[in-house]
Amino acid sequence: MRNFGYMEKGQNSSLSDLRLWHRILKKSEGFKVPISLAVFLSLGVTFSALSLPYLMKTGIDAYITATELPLDQRYGGLAKIGGVICLLITTGFILTFTQAVLLEWVGQSVMHRIRQQLFGHILDLDLSFLSSQPTGRLVTRLTNDVQNMYEMFTSVLVTLFNDILRLIGILVVLYLLNMQLALVMSIFVPLALVLTLVFSRLAREKFRAIRSQLSKINSFVQESVSGISIIQLFGRQHLWHEKFEALSNEYLSRTLKQIRLFAAFMPLTEFMSWLAVAMILVYGGHLVMGNDLSIGELIAYIAYMRLFFQPLRELAQKYSIVQSALASAERIFDMLDTKRQITEIEVPHHLAEARGAITFSSVGFGYEPDEPVIKQLDLDIAAGETVAVVGPTGSGKSTLISLLLRFYDPQKGTILIDGCQVKDLSLNQLRTIVGVILQDVFILDDTLLKNIVMDSGISRDEVEIILARSGMAPFIAKLEHGLDTRIGDGGRELSTGEKQLLAFARALCRDPAVLILDEATAFIDSETESILEAAIDRLEDRTSIIIAHRLSTIKRADRIVVMKDGAIVEMGTHTELLQKKAHYARLVELDTFKAV
Amino acid sequence: MEYRNEKKGIEQNDSETSPVSFIGLVRQLLADQFVTHRYRLLAGFVALISVDFLQLSIPLLVKRAIDSLAVQEATMALLIILASTILAIAMTVVVLRFIWRMLIIGFSRYLERALRNRIFSHILAMDQYFFSNRSTGDIMAHGSNDLAAVQMACGMGMVAAVDALVLSVAAIGFMVHIHPTLTLYALLPLPFLALTTRILSAKLHHRFNHVQEEFAHLTEFARSAVVSVRLIKAYTHENSQVGDFDRLGRRYVHANIRVALIHGLLFPASTLIGNLGLLIVLVYGGRLVIDNSITIGDFAAFTTYLQMLIWPMMAVGWVANLTQRGVTALRRIHGLVTSRPILIDTSDDKAEFPVSGGFKARDLTFSYPDSSTAQLSNICFDVESGIIGIAGKTGSGKTTLCKLLIRLYPVDYQTLFYGEIDVNEIPFEQLRSQIAYVGQEPILFSDTIRANISFGIDDPSSEKIIAAARDADIHEEILGFSNGYDTIVGERGVTLSGGQRQRLALARALLYDRPVLVVDDGLSAVDTATENNIVSALRRRFSGKTVFIVSNRLKLLSMTDRILILEEGQLIDEGDHHILLQRNSFYQAMHLKQMQEDQGLSHA
Repeated sequence: MRNFGYMEKGQNSSLSDLRLWHRILKKSEGFKVPISLAVFLSLGVTFSALSLPYLMKTGIDAYITATELPLDQRYGGLAKIGGVICLLITTGFILTFTQAVLLEWVGQSVMHRIRQQLFGHILDLDLSFLSSQPTGRLVTRLTNDVQNMYEMFTSVLVTLFNDILRLIGILVVLYLLNMQLALVMSIFVPLALVLTLVFSRLAREKFRAIRSQLSKINSFVQESVSGISIIQLFGRQHLWHEKFEALSNEYLSRTLKQIRLFAAFMPLTEFMSWLAVAMILVYGGHLVMGNDLSIGELIAYIAYMRLFFQPLRELAQKYSIVQSALASAERIFDMLDTKRQITEIEVPHHLAEARGAITFSSVGFGYEPDEPVIKQLDLDIAAGETVAVVGPTGSGKSTLISLLLRFYDPQKGTILIDGCQVKDLSLNQLRTIVGVILQDVFILDDTLLKNIVMDSGISRDEVEIILARSGMAPFIAKLEHGLDTRIGDGGRELSTGEKQLLAFARALCRDPAVLILDEATAFIDSETESILEAAIDRLEDRTSIIIAHRLSTIKRADRIVVMKDGAIVEMGTHTELLQKKAHYARLVELDTFKAV
Repeated sequence: MEYRNEKKGIEQNDSETSPVSFIGLVRQLLADQFVTHRYRLLAGFVALISVDFLQLSIPLLVKRAIDSLAVQEATMALLIILASTILAIAMTVVVLRFIWRMLIIGFSRYLERALRNRIFSHILAMDQYFFSNRSTGDIMAHGSNDLAAVQMACGMGMVAAVDALVLSVAAIGFMVHIHPTLTLYALLPLPFLALTTRILSAKLHHRFNHVQEEFAHLTEFARSAVVSVRLIKAYTHENSQVGDFDRLGRRYVHANIRVALIHGLLFPASTLIGNLGLLIVLVYGGRLVIDNSITIGDFAAFTTYLQMLIWPMMAVGWVANLTQRGVTALRRIHGLVTSRPILIDTSDDKAEFPVSGGFKARDLTFSYPDSSTAQLSNICFDVESGIIGIAGKTGSGKTTLCKLLIRLYPVDYQTLFYGEIDVNEIPFEQLRSQIAYVGQEPILFSDTIRANISFGIDDPSSEKIIAAARDADIHEEILGFSNGYDTIVGERGVTLSGGQRQRLALARALLYDRPVLVVDDGLSAVDTATENNIVSALRRRFSGKTVFIVSNRLKLLSMTDRILILEEGQLIDEGDHHILLQRNSFYQAMHLKQMQEDQGLSHA
């Protein structure tokens, strides 16, 4: 299983953390009926498993050894009991199967629900939080952690229902059969429990030691493979081999320690069951001699004691599963408890008809509080205006867009759309009013049409009209299957320019009042470029902000804003700025050398 | 894709043309371990088989006790004797079981280690083609999943096979001894158990793989969503993403339920079939007791043996699957350790060549196997000594040229010479021991700074390390770290800047004192002043030797003795800074742009 080079730190969650248990249980709300059914089924399963030795006993005592009865009555009784057993084991079979599938369904459904909730929650969190988290960690939360939690969910349920119920059942039967013998046998309960607990604790340590060594080996291999050329060039193979052998030897010695533990524990449980048999023979035999116990009961006792040790082994194994699952559950809940900083106000304003006038008023912002990226920025953009923002990398152009979209909130100043503060709008409305065309596009492995429509719910005809109106129809016509061309994995690969066209089409389908275009810096073929330009030309009444990299685009803008070091240094039309012979003029001059 | 196919063809020719037989696999990969550990295995299996027989004797003792109780001949003394015998046997069993687990399961771990080491040393000897064809993940999978499968098959798999065989033969023997006909009837359902287990667990394996696939899809989807979360938010795709994730999640749930359908069947089925045997024993065996054909003690012993048989019958199916998986894994490992490098040392190993620092290229043409276009064509140059700059646009062949110089890829005969000798005639080790190299992406290992620098030298003095670090202009910064030269680099230690990493890699290369140094754009993140210091240090260290530096930075190039300019794989011009500034248009354009950038107009 991939973990993206990300290893989870060991965490110890307490089994007795009741609040955690409570939260886990709350997640299974709505599954009360199937869970109760599963409990009911496990009563049946236990009953059928435990009545088998009892029926055997009855067969022995009532018919096989009952020499005083006439022969055909003994034969007939035996057959009758055989029939009952047959019925019982078939029922047991069906019940066990039903229960297993039912629990799987409940467990998986609950986990699915948690996974969905977590996924939605992660998508909803602040970018500033998400970018501080390694990708591997977030993915682990969604996949492996949920999976771990699932293991526990079913294990705990199965354990609680079946194993513990069975243990209790066996004890009850033992007491019913013979009180005195049962009292003697009861000493095995604490004995077995202590042994099991000690073992599972030790086993957990050993497993952890093995896992951590294995991850050392894995990262060593990874590092060696990525540095292989250097290792070979400098002739260090022998050294690397030695290092690897040392890791490999340590791994071996840790696995051997684990083998020793298992080699000691596994036979011990078996020994206990033979010890029980020996005790039953001596003490039970004594009771039989005193006519306090029948032969059948003695045989049944032996059979029940063997059944008794089986669930104990299972419990030992499950203990460690539950431990690691609780750690996962805790991590999941921690993530769910993470609140976003960028919040919506309780009753967001609603702009019925957005026109798209934008105002940045003394905006100040830095990703780190003491490293400002935007300084005291004022900018008014009228509705319907096209503004080109230019400036060197790192001047704050993209940050401006991030602020407008409320990926981050500015530390100082306010941002308004049509006179309404962006933080008073719902995030959804804000991001619908402001449509973006970034350099990067999120592509679904589906048809072009599906990729344009996404979840906007518009029809194919409408898409075609929009494409025709914005001059993008030639782009579609170029593709062999038109709108039905498959793109993404296993489909046609899109060039940088085509990706921008797709983003364009997507944005237009949502009919935003403000359009933001982050022009591609990479090379775009001239045909695509002319389509793009035509599309920009036809934006007309829409407010557009273009982070421009091409002179042709810049010239078309109503106004050019030149940014440097987080502030606006110049503003005006192309001709005005050229005449100034300052920042913009020099940028234009440089642009001619872009080919190098 | 074509490249892949071609590569596979080569691999097959190099190893075997047809899939290796099971015997062949075992002989080539495992046999030596079995031979080395033969006494350990022998002792282990003796212990295992003894355990089986001792275990089988316990029901006999129980039967004695029950019989004596039934006919009312039992005495307390007899019962105590029988019980203590049972305990004595059980104790011996504990000891013997401990022994076989340690010996046999331990063996599987020794075997795993041997295979693991073998895989790793094979990887160390592989060339670039090998690595460009396999992802690190694939190689890691061999090292974890495949090894685990082989280990399981050779450990628990072997134990279960022997155990099942001995236990079932012996148990059946005892049962036949008690009553042959009853045995026959009681055993009737058991072959069904073996068959059911076999069929179901094969199906289970198949369905479980499907679950793994779905899980991988889910993981991949989550990963790409997390990576592109900014885009998702910007384009307000949250809802459609949640919807798609939901669909994948449902498919995953569905796959899991399909597994549960089999898994849920497997264990109840074994219980059912085992109990059917018990039922037969009760009804038919009970009649035999009534008819006095067998005793009640026989009856009790019989049921115990029958229960003992359930595990071996289940084991048959389990072992078959373990073996199958183990062999598949072994075959993959075999494919890995028998793959041969394309870059083969054709030289005479014993040949010794005079030390010389010059490179000569004569119509050097090269293309990577996965492309038809030549990366380099008809390159000719003579380099005796001095600092040689290599410049050119991205994709012009600068890096390829470096890789050929350090012999990462094969070159045609009579096209590249070291001194006067065709590189194909010089053993790799010998040629590489002449060259130090700094790559584009500095490769550092998670170890101390000292170890990262001294990486190439077995036991360098501190003075030498410090001198190299000084020349790479990083000594002062290293002293600034909390533990100086003993500071750990990488994930668990300090995070170095790009420039620091490059200078550390350079220090490593300088420590060698080799006649040739190749720096493939390895100073790109170093600022101009530092670059100046480094080049002067290089000039001092490498006087009379050869340095190749790939760079597109004018400052650096102007300090070199000679500059080679590449364009689309061809050497279009060469000369010193001043000559090129006068006559080469690419060089002039680069000059103009960088002059303007220096004036602070653009940080791009």
